[in-house]
Amino acid sequence: MATLTEGCLIPDLLARPRPADWERLRQEAEKRLEIQTLPTTKDEDWKYTDLKLLRERAFVPGASREVDLAESILPEARGTRLVFVNGHFAPHLSNTSALPPGVRMLPLASASAAAAGLGTLATPETSDVFANLNHARFTDGAFLFVPRQVRVEAPLQVLFVSEQEGATATYSLPRLLVVLERGAEAQIVEEYRGCGQYFTDALTEVWLHENASLTHERVQREARDAVHIATLAARVDRGARYVCRTLSLGARLSRQTPTVLMAEEGATLELNGLALLDGDQVADTHSRIDHAVPGCSSRQLHKTIVDGHSRGIFNGRIFVHPGAQQTDARQQARSLMLSDTARVDAKPELEIFADDVKCAHGAAIGQLDPEELFYLQSRGLNPETARNLLTYGFAADLLALIPVASLRRQLRKVVMAKTNAVDLDLQEKS
Amino acid sequence: MSSPLQQVTSQEYKYGFVTDIESDSAPPGLSEDTIRMISAKKGEPEWLLEYRLKAYQHWLTMVEPEWAKVQYTRPDFQKIVYYSAPKPKVAKYQSLDEVDPELLRTFEKLGVPMDERKALAGVAVDVVFDSVSVTTTYKARLGEMGIIFCSLSEAVREHPELVKKYLNSVVPYTDNFYAALNSAVFTDGSFVFIPKGVQCPMDLSTYFRINNKDSGQFERTLIVAEDGATVSYLEGCTAPQFDTNQLHAAVVELVALDDASIKYSTVQNWYAGDQDGVGGIFNFVTKRGLCKGPRSKISWTQVETGSAITWKYPSCVLLGEGSIGEFYSVALTNHKQQADTGTKMIHIGRNTKSTIISKGISAGSSSNSYRGLVKVQAKAEGARNFSQCDSMLIGSKCSANTFPYIEVQNRTAKVEHEATTSKIGEEQLFYFQQRGIPTEDAISMIINGFCKDVFRELPMEFAVEATKLLSLKLEGSVG
Repeated sequence: MATLTEGCLIPDLLARPRPADWERLRQEAEKRLEIQTLPTTKDEDWKYTDLKLLRERAFVPGASREVDLAESILPEARGTRLVFVNGHFAPHLSNTSALPPGVRMLPLASASAAAAGLGTLATPETSDVFANLNHARFTDGAFLFVPRQVRVEAPLQVLFVSEQEGATATYSLPRLLVVLERGAEAQIVEEYRGCGQYFTDALTEVWLHENASLTHERVQREARDAVHIATLAARVDRGARYVCRTLSLGARLSRQTPTVLMAEEGATLELNGLALLDGDQVADTHSRIDHAVPGCSSRQLHKTIVDGHSRGIFNGRIFVHPGAQQTDARQQARSLMLSDTARVDAKPELEIFADDVKCAHGAAIGQLDPEELFYLQSRGLNPETARNLLTYGFAADLLALIPVASLRRQLRKVVMAKTNAVDLDLQEKS
Repeated sequence: MSSPLQQVTSQEYKYGFVTDIESDSAPPGLSEDTIRMISAKKGEPEWLLEYRLKAYQHWLTMVEPEWAKVQYTRPDFQKIVYYSAPKPKVAKYQSLDEVDPELLRTFEKLGVPMDERKALAGVAVDVVFDSVSVTTTYKARLGEMGIIFCSLSEAVREHPELVKKYLNSVVPYTDNFYAALNSAVFTDGSFVFIPKGVQCPMDLSTYFRINNKDSGQFERTLIVAEDGATVSYLEGCTAPQFDTNQLHAAVVELVALDDASIKYSTVQNWYAGDQDGVGGIFNFVTKRGLCKGPRSKISWTQVETGSAITWKYPSCVLLGEGSIGEFYSVALTNHKQQADTGTKMIHIGRNTKSTIISKGISAGSSSNSYRGLVKVQAKAEGARNFSQCDSMLIGSKCSANTFPYIEVQNRTAKVEHEATTSKIGEEQLFYFQQRGIPTEDAISMIINGFCKDVFRELPMEFAVEATKLLSLKLEGSVG
């Protein structure tokens, strides 16, 4: 049985047979894994996040199985959907009948020729231990391709479901490669959910060519006892526009490491995140935005709500390379603390090597504004309702921007439930 | 234990270390014997020697910190002379005519008084610009109020109970590599004690104690303000100090008891090395203040313009309820200078407040980093922090970095951090020129405006000189 305990996490995974495809990528990753170890809190990048859970538990690879998707399927994506269960493609749950001509949406296992670019944005050399584990042993994943000047109206949904089998926790290594050619336009919903105890080590690569435009919703709704570690490596070319929103709602321990390279002039980025935590949840976001060339702009907004014993961690780095003049980069991190035992650690970083730039970051941590609470109470809301409404409002402005209506509604409900703001209207009327 | 360090030092001993004890300076290298010698030379009590030795033993187990964003060749700790007795003042030059004209020009620009110029350049001066008399007059006046202001060595002799009580209480020798080193080998420094309820009537400054200028590379400063006492302490010198020492590892400890207030201002202009980054001082300083009593206040103001490498984080531990910590900083780097500086505000007590205003200016090929920590512990109810870190870049080869760490464990805390980056815009310069103001003056005015929030906190004379110092340092950087 393979265990993911401290010393043997890497050897055990590597002891499994190497899938036949992407031989070079896997070999290079394995080479890196010979020197990479499971990080500890002594590593600056993992200072606030303890991987005890990964060390303590034993995990086995999850197998393909029947699952009930129920409300996970977006009506808008009825014919533009791929589903993976425990890392394996689930053909009977997937449906790609409504894809416009030329647009591809298929499992990587059957797209190895088309998806040759896999591993070029997240190269083994630049990858951390989790991304390299994925490189080395992923079994399958999704390949999304939108050709030149094609605009896909329907959202493309990729759903990764994990389910524990028997008594032992499982693991899976989901993989996603998105390529938008020149002038292409699309919306993607990448979602993770499941039940039981398991470990998800996901790796997503997104390449937007010239003037392409993508809105990318990343919804992490893993089971409460899961560990979710997700790496995103994106590249935005000339004039392209990338809007990426990450919602961290589930998992006991989750970590998001979005890395975006502003590769050519005029690229724009909106990188947003929301973490809604309670109980003993830990959610860590380590982002890096590289402004490598002049004239790109990036906006980042990260919001965290912590309740119970939960911990929210945000480390956002903006790196302006030498020569990247006229960079316009702004970052905001806002955290709301709802309990006395919760904790927030924030580290917004700016590293700037060019003088003609506009860069700013801000971080604010606090509780609900007493004046706002008073205002609502003066309008007849009881203190509890006022608190819930403000908490919901803190999170809701990010949800309002989600273009897929059904997803927006669904997530609003989830956030309402989490902030006890369900049916505010009804409560007040009755 | 036979570390390479000890092997080397035991060799030194073989070659007649003992005879050296009689001479004015110790041979290069660090060992228990060096420390015993420093202690013996200074006629220190046993407890202080023990303290030094403990610190030394601990230092041996430590490694140099590498997390700062600075690059340099590690100093060879066995090549440093750790003790050199204060020599009688020997003039380097007989008259100002012999002094490097570049240096004189600097003095002139700064408006340093003539006598002071001579003293700083090392010219023989009959009476060192009144300092002796100033010192004596002031000392008498301060003494009447019960204020103790003397060198640390003197304090060890005269007021051992105070030194024993407060030394190591804020910066323990285990704190970090350089603090441990300093604790083992510190030569001298200042000691200030303001008794209960006394408001120190004047700014205390190392200016007034000429002997302190020779205290060298391992300074140790201790300032204690008792209940309700207030004091403002000025450190440093706006004119360049041509020191040949490579490494400066100072430790400054401040203790503020109930309702006490300490204001500590620094203008640092150590030799920064030449344009290609050759030479210059490594300034590795540990400064920390403890707001021990309720409603106490510690305020750090620093203007950092010198040193090849700066590694400095004046901090406040806000223990007392309602205590206040402040940090105002201007850090300027030019040519190949590297600065990694900032502050730590540790909120422990209820309703503690802290303010951080940091202005970084980088020019040339320099690297200027703000690194700070705001930590609100679980019991620090109602803690409040506001931080603002602004950077200005001049030229396209320099870098400005911001690394603020924010850790909050109490929900009633309110922590805000802001950082921006800007440059001196063509448009701004054009606007000035349009109104007949030459470029250099315009730059000086823009920089001045940029740093206003910090300069405002400096004592008057310091502020005037600091302003001039900045424009001088940036001369020729823009345009």
